[in-house]
Amino acid sequence: MGEARRPLIAVALAGALLGSGLLLVAVTGAYNIAASEGHWRITEILLRFGLERSVSVRANETPPRLDDPDLIRLGAGHFHAACAPCHGAPGTPVPAFVGGMLPTPPDLRTRVDAWSDAELFRIIRHGIKYTGMPAWPSRGTEREIWAVTAFVRHMHRLDAAAYQALARGGATMSAADGTASGSGRNLPDGVAACAHCHGAQGQQPSSALVPTLYGQPEAMLRAALRSYAQRTRPSGVMQVAVDGLSPRQLDQLAAYYAAIAPPVPQPPTPDQMPLVEAGRVLAEHGDAAARIPACLSCHGPQALPLYPRLAGQSARYLEGRLDGWRHGAQARGDALDRVMAPIARRLSEEQARALAAFFAQQAPHAAQARADGL
Amino acid sequence: MKARFAFCLLPLLAACGQSQSALHPAGEEAARIHLLSLTLFGGAAIILLLVALAAWLAIRGPEGARTVLRAPRMVVLAGIAVPVVTLSALLTYGLWVMAKSSAPGGAPAARIVVTAEQWWWRVSYARADGAAVESANEIRIPVGREVELELHSGDVIHSFWVPALAGKLDMIPGRTHRLRLSAARPGIYRGQCAEYCGGAHAWMAFEVIAMPGAEFAAWLAAAAMPAPAAAGRGAALFQATGCGACHRIAGTAATGTIGPDLTRVGARRFIGAAMLPQTPENLSRFIADAQHFKPGAGMPPFGFLADADLAALSAYLSGLR
Repeated sequence: MGEARRPLIAVALAGALLGSGLLLVAVTGAYNIAASEGHWRITEILLRFGLERSVSVRANETPPRLDDPDLIRLGAGHFHAACAPCHGAPGTPVPAFVGGMLPTPPDLRTRVDAWSDAELFRIIRHGIKYTGMPAWPSRGTEREIWAVTAFVRHMHRLDAAAYQALARGGATMSAADGTASGSGRNLPDGVAACAHCHGAQGQQPSSALVPTLYGQPEAMLRAALRSYAQRTRPSGVMQVAVDGLSPRQLDQLAAYYAAIAPPVPQPPTPDQMPLVEAGRVLAEHGDAAARIPACLSCHGPQALPLYPRLAGQSARYLEGRLDGWRHGAQARGDALDRVMAPIARRLSEEQARALAAFFAQQAPHAAQARADGL
Repeated sequence: MKARFAFCLLPLLAACGQSQSALHPAGEEAARIHLLSLTLFGGAAIILLLVALAAWLAIRGPEGARTVLRAPRMVVLAGIAVPVVTLSALLTYGLWVMAKSSAPGGAPAARIVVTAEQWWWRVSYARADGAAVESANEIRIPVGREVELELHSGDVIHSFWVPALAGKLDMIPGRTHRLRLSAARPGIYRGQCAEYCGGAHAWMAFEVIAMPGAEFAAWLAAAAMPAPAAAGRGAALFQATGCGACHRIAGTAATGTIGPDLTRVGARRFIGAAMLPQTPENLSRFIADAQHFKPGAGMPPFGFLADADLAALSAYLSGLR
């Protein structure tokens, strides 16, 4: 018996010795945690190897088409707001304060080639422990993360001017706008940030994946901005965008976009007509057998000002929203998501496409912004 | 020990109410089933006593009795002949009761289509002029007259059971089942889905309200009229919130057929399929968070509406009589 136990005792002793040794190092503060100290070369190599293996082993998502211009433009706006402050951008070097970080955030133009699309997606979505790389702020928003992945892939082709044009979505702010936003009279303070993606003064959004906000009911825009600010409505892009805006600024933004007349959409092409027609029937009458209510009873001009109007909205944006609910988890989102998600889940892929096509070509109702009377 | 025994008997008290009890039949068919049950239980009790007595005699009884019990003749007589006779008699009686229940009598006093859905009852009265009166979770019938129920299921298997009026009948998707029932006295008889049909199965109940024939005819005629016009804030909110996409209120723009018909919801005793007493407060609570009361039900939570809006909506609905 005693003979058999001897190795076990030796292992236990060695473990105890190692544990107390580590504890001693921690208690005495012998290990210097200072970022200025750097790592030993061997530590550096081991950490780097472990990091790459950990990301690579877990990267298993299938990427969509990453050369999609709408995806790249959506990613560009968010990259400029959330990633560039640490990673720099074409024409903007990595800022000085970031140079003191350990590890230093890499200049992405030179480093992304080492990673596959799925690995980049994994890093942007989950972040990396102890490096300062944060995880994506919101769950269930895969398409946004793919957008940033697509942009990061695309970035090495851009010079400073091309980057500015892409990240700012071509939105121009005149000096007069600046004065007006300073006084809070006309353009609200935050509109410059919104305009990068959503446009301002009637310009189209920079990407078909971004909704048109013009002419939406003010109450709906206000509620949406508030739920982003409270982080109940999922979107990494929007939660970052509204960060730091005061409730007053959010209200001003809602009022600003609500007051601008919505653009008139392009008429559908003849080959789109069957899909548009199928969408119209579903939007007007629903499908009682499949327990799908008529969309227009909540999204028509007469509906509560808390509900969004869908006429003239981009088809890709609408499909993306429906897709998010159709594949999303049960208990996610704000109060209105909880109404919409179960309905969207009853839609077939084909029905979702038809509805998006129908609403995209529908001319916005002249009175839709005036429904606030209720 | 005594207390624990009494505690075990507590669930039996649940059967003491008469509105949902097979032991208090209020209809012809229920009475036949009641008699059948009593016969069955009485006969079974007698047989049990005889078997117990035979067992006691076989163990402790005098030698004479044991000899008789031991004889092969006894096995043939009590073990084969008696069960064959008893069970045959019972089967004949049972078949007679069943035949009586499913035999179409004369023309029924009313035809009512009941469709079970997860987890409520769609009720549609066929009127003589071919029009239908839609309602939900409440079935009104004339007293003392035979009524024909046409039973359907909209989704999964349900079972229709009003214990005080009739036996239960399963509702199989894609099939039409017919049930004749009548109530001998006016009253309110509770019914329930008697086949597990999903999460909120236990909350899928309804009431049968038996009323004098003349009163029933008057009620049905009134119910066929469109809802009284209401032009208040509640009515406007009902349309703007999109309630009409799933609920119908006859005579208004609300024509949805996904959820229960609300044309006369204010006159019903309960909401949520005989779940919550119909009060403005309960209506508000149900609209704000139906999932709290019936998890998984089709009704979305409208808790984002202001309290005043909820109150206006429920005041409007309570007024629909």
